Amino acid sequence: MKLRTIGIQQFFRVSSGLIILGLLVEIVSLLWFHPLAFVLFAFVGASLIGLGILVYLASLVFAVSPPAGNRG
Amino acid sequence: MFGPTGILIAVIVLTMVLAVFFLIRPAVTAGAREKILAFIALFILPALCIGGGMSRHMERSEQTRFCISCHAMAPYGQSLYVDDAKYLPAAHFQNHRIPVETACYACHADYTIYGPLKDKLQGITRIYMQYVSTPPKTIHIRGGYSNLQCLHCHAGARNFEANPVHQAIMDSLKSNQMSCVSSGCHDTVHNVAAMGNVKFWSSAQ
Repeated sequence: MKLRTIGIQQFFRVSSGLIILGLLVEIVSLLWFHPLAFVLFAFVGASLIGLGILVYLASLVFAVSPPAGNRG
Repeated sequence: MFGPTGILIAVIVLTMVLAVFFLIRPAVTAGAREKILAFIALFILPALCIGGGMSRHMERSEQTRFCISCHAMAPYGQSLYVDDAKYLPAAHFQNHRIPVETACYACHADYTIYGPLKDKLQGITRIYMQYVSTPPKTIHIRGGYSNLQCLHCHAGARNFEANPVHQAIMDSLKSNQMSCVSSGCHDTVHNVAAMGNVKFWSSAQ
């Protein structure tokens, strides 16, 4: 599978990036008292965070761990 | 000040700090302890943030000031302050028969198992109408106003049950065949078209 060629570190970077973006959107939505804030949170923030979680979970299944010599 | 939103923001900031750490140094996850930390930072905490955010937003969307923050809803908010006891929402709001902080929600929530979900979907439809398509000149409740929303509080109440008029038509009211608000009994509701010609009550607050 092609995904297996992607290292776990790459997965972590993408996952962290998505989660950070999603959390920033969530903070904005919490500070903005408007009906659109809910839409922003539900459709943008939560989706980005959810995608970040999925990428992290995918890393557990598909990613290649670095060789034992490179660890630490 | 440091209420539920403050706690949630603190959790979000903590999650962000950990996520930034794994963004900058993903290589640290080689060890077992760091793997557990990554699991917490990239799975447990973000999931908690989604759940907490959803809960806060649902709670906020029940507030009166949230509902009337939409331009189209402003006159409905005004109608809560009409100085006339015939105005049903005003009488409920001004006499605290409903919680004033969640006045709209108290009378318009769908008190069924999937009610909050249906309400949210309807709210999103209204946002769509406001910002994408054209909002209607007169706002109508889909399917009409259900007596169940009145009966949620009034059913079983002495002054409601003992009223001879109510007693005579109780079955029709409970089966929603006769509407409380549009059968000629309690028919002055928001009446937003008349907002320019009414006197308003100014709360002492």
